[in-house]
Amino acid sequence: MNFSAKIRGALIAVFTLPLAFMSVSHAQDQVPITIVINQSPWFAGFQTVVGQYQEKTGNTVSLDVNPFAGSLEKQRSAVRSKESPYDILIMNAGFFIEMYKGGFLSPLNDIDPKFALDKDLYTFDDSVYWDPSTNKIDAKTGKLMSVPINPFIPILHYRSDLYAEKGLKVPETWDDLLANAKALNNPPSMYGIVQRGARGTFDVTYDVLPYIWSYGGGLLKDQKAGDYTIIVNSPETKAGMEMYLKLAKEAGHPSTAGQTQANVLQNMATGKAGNIIAVLAASIFDDPNQSAVVDKVGFAPPPHAPGFQSSPGLGHWLGGIPKNIPGDRQKAALAFLNWFQSKDAQMAYAEAGSPPVSRAVLESDLGNQPKYRWMKALSKGLTTARLPFFIPESAQILAITELGFNQIISGQTTVNDGLNNMAKEMEKVMTAAGYKAPLLPDLKD
Amino acid sequence: MYLSSTENARSASPEGLVENGSLQPLNRDRFWRNLTLAPAILLFLALTILPMVNLAVLSLHDIDWAQGLSSWTYVGLKHYASLAADSLFKASILNTLVFSTVAVSVQMVLGFALALLTSSIVHGRLFYRTVFLLPILVPGIIIGAIWKLMFSFDFGVLNQMAGAIGIMPRDWLGDATYSLASIIVVDIWHWTPFCFLLLLASLETLPQDVYEASDIDGATRWQSLWYITIPLMLPAIAVTFVFRLILAFKVFDEVYLLTGGGPGTSTEVVSFTIFRRFFTEDRPGYGSAMSITTFAFIALMIIVVSAVTRRKGSTS
Amino acid sequence: MSAAYSAPLRSTLFRHGLLVIAAALVLFPFLWIVAAAFKTQISLLTGQLLFQPTLANFVNVLFSSTSDYVRNFSNSLVIASASTVLVLVVATLAAYSLQCMQWPSWVLHSMLGWSVIFHMVPPITLAGAWYSMFRTIGLDNTYTGLILAHTTLNLPMALWMMGVFVRDVPKELIEAAKIDGAGTPRILRHVIVPLVRPGLAAAGILSFIFSWNEFAVVLTLSQRQTATVPVAIGKYAQENTIAYTEMAAASVLSMMPAVLLLLIAQRFIVRGLTTGAVK
Repeated sequence: MNFSAKIRGALIAVFTLPLAFMSVSHAQDQVPITIVINQSPWFAGFQTVVGQYQEKTGNTVSLDVNPFAGSLEKQRSAVRSKESPYDILIMNAGFFIEMYKGGFLSPLNDIDPKFALDKDLYTFDDSVYWDPSTNKIDAKTGKLMSVPINPFIPILHYRSDLYAEKGLKVPETWDDLLANAKALNNPPSMYGIVQRGARGTFDVTYDVLPYIWSYGGGLLKDQKAGDYTIIVNSPETKAGMEMYLKLAKEAGHPSTAGQTQANVLQNMATGKAGNIIAVLAASIFDDPNQSAVVDKVGFAPPPHAPGFQSSPGLGHWLGGIPKNIPGDRQKAALAFLNWFQSKDAQMAYAEAGSPPVSRAVLESDLGNQPKYRWMKALSKGLTTARLPFFIPESAQILAITELGFNQIISGQTTVNDGLNNMAKEMEKVMTAAGYKAPLLPDLKD
Repeated sequence: MYLSSTENARSASPEGLVENGSLQPLNRDRFWRNLTLAPAILLFLALTILPMVNLAVLSLHDIDWAQGLSSWTYVGLKHYASLAADSLFKASILNTLVFSTVAVSVQMVLGFALALLTSSIVHGRLFYRTVFLLPILVPGIIIGAIWKLMFSFDFGVLNQMAGAIGIMPRDWLGDATYSLASIIVVDIWHWTPFCFLLLLASLETLPQDVYEASDIDGATRWQSLWYITIPLMLPAIAVTFVFRLILAFKVFDEVYLLTGGGPGTSTEVVSFTIFRRFFTEDRPGYGSAMSITTFAFIALMIIVVSAVTRRKGSTS
Repeated sequence: MSAAYSAPLRSTLFRHGLLVIAAALVLFPFLWIVAAAFKTQISLLTGQLLFQPTLANFVNVLFSSTSDYVRNFSNSLVIASASTVLVLVVATLAAYSLQCMQWPSWVLHSMLGWSVIFHMVPPITLAGAWYSMFRTIGLDNTYTGLILAHTTLNLPMALWMMGVFVRDVPKELIEAAKIDGAGTPRILRHVIVPLVRPGLAAAGILSFIFSWNEFAVVLTLSQRQTATVPVAIGKYAQENTIAYTEMAAASVLSMMPAVLLLLIAQRFIVRGLTTGAVK
């Protein structure tokens, strides 16, 4: 039993931890900093890297770990107060723009003019840059605002053992996936695919996006170029939505509308799902304490419609430094971020089980090892990944789409009515926020 | 309770003034009177009135952030006006009304029955009492997590048991037909003990001599329950009911973890909508208007309920 | 009730039968939680009835470097105890003042009325305002701030309950003490407090438990140094999964002091209530 080993490990950690602190405390060259972060499957890796940073530099970094649900609220409160208790904010793709636009973050070159992003780092649809004069993400005119921390995108997780057994090929298009899912579908002991359809803050919308984008649809036409035409009720979006529903109906879970991300992962972990599309959960599926499918899960980018490219939505995390803290704390925070983006740190981060944000590490030989077999799928998926929101009104739009998509999936409304209705509500929000957001004609049967 | 105690004070105050004949003790009394109430007043002022005033002011404004600074724009009653068109808010009010009245009614009946049963047995009282009090010890967040797992479509113990006796599995939380009922079941499990505790406390302070008299008169158990116990306990029942109703109206933790308001709007409840609008969507102005409207709504409800119980109390 | 003594055996058995069923329904989720705490995540999810128990969840909760559980636990003890004591003192004083010291009726009206109104406010809406106030005066992330917050949250309930108990104290006893020359402090100590002890016990237990379980406000006002047990438990609800088994282990540990308190104070409540009934 590995229990005694764990006890021993814990005891050793308890007794040696103080020693480790004592031996390095003299080397400190930066003031102590605090990072606000949320608990997640990749947190353990982040913590390992923080430990190494403290060991190597002698600087003190404390982590304020929050449940996922409370992290944004704490960050908001902190940056809006007189002096933030936090020195680095770990921000999600869903809300970093709010921090940029509110002017809460210090541009990194204001802290150190010489600081530059490592050339190997992904910039995730330029989301590390912000132009405050135009209030837009812009790599050319914008300032560097943050350092990437985690590269989450949705990834297709499939049962590689069953694929081999039935002679199935890794799917390229949605129709391929449908065929594979049907081949594996044998409810209730096995569902061909389990999709997240439950309503949350950025849940069902996030999982519907790869479908509707890859058919040429979406929510708003081209936010980056400033075209806010509402295309949620376009024929293309409808085609993607119908593909989602087809999979759910013909080879999916009987209660897709009730599935949360945790349900989806549980179905895979217990061997009840043939395919899922979810953010990378390799660390769960390869842990025998949490999974009945160890080494039986393969990874690939999400499928796409014929003639289109795979379109995963970015759900990445960025590290930013608040404006409302003293200069020495900002410098100490930047020193950590600078160290974090180094190749050594990124390598250690990957080895501790967290997906790195460095292209060099993600595309390195590490990816050839079975343990890191997810790396290739992730790096391929990242090449076509898209940022869902370039505007700060994301929360209000998501409130509409989370409910709307969930109602379509649960059958409370028809596809046409649901999409038309969402379009009208989005138009209200967008217009009230001052955007020019034309509506398309209603979808008709 | 609140109304009956004011009656008490009103009748007590004139005599009191007459009794305090000399000025000296009156001053000393006044000193102690103010001093004993001061801490409560201070806490209320600083930590409730101030933030509530803040909420009221917020509800008349829009707040924007730029360059790390906030700018407040006065918008009058705009937020209150747009509440009427908020279909989510309407759904949540309706759901919360159904949720709280059904859940609390069942809790009152069960809690009363359990209190009666517990007080009527000789042996094992302590055991049952302890067992029934356990659920209120559990943080809502754990209750949410554990029941979520028990309700789970694929792994939940409920569907396993249903399967064992040949019933089709149901998606208790993910199917709009059952989701609200499932949340109500969890709330009943969680809060029946609270009703039990308060009702048992009142039951055990009932004067024994009345029962002894009715025993002599040959009253049956049901008769003494109906004609003695329930009338005597009416104030306690009313207080417990109102108290629980208010708590039920605030339900948050359980819904947050169990369903997140879904599927669709089937379990969207008021404090969850407020939380969503206020924090998640970061619309503090609109969220405050929603909060204040909700207080007004509940206050009205409480006034109606206590007026009704008072009339009942005075006629009987 | 005294009637129970004359009850026939059959009806006694019937009553016990009902109570046992009710007790089983109440206890089942607890057994589930306890069993979950000794399972691995996968054996929990696959619903194994027979499983090899593991202590790994408890080890992780108590000793893992990512867990602050021990500190969270002692924070909870400090905050729940201190806020309970404080709320009992404040509420008893206020209840005495309001019920026995001839305030004009509008004062009583507004205090109790305001308690009701405040009690309706979902605490989540006040948490933001409290954070900015506390941050300004340096009380965020301190015990003092959290204790004050929990005292305020529980004050309406305590005020209600103590109000009822103090009102029921016979006014003749207070008058008699006054005639004997007792001042307010002595009346409080020797007349009121002994007589409202059942109320203090009941209100105290409820305050303690509500404070122990409160999640939203602590989450907003605390950081790592002052976070309490529910926040620690909340952390197991992660971004994509819920670490049920560790959550269960943390929950089992978190319930221990409250259960202990209930077992001890249970006797006290019973004794208190029976003394009250004789009066």
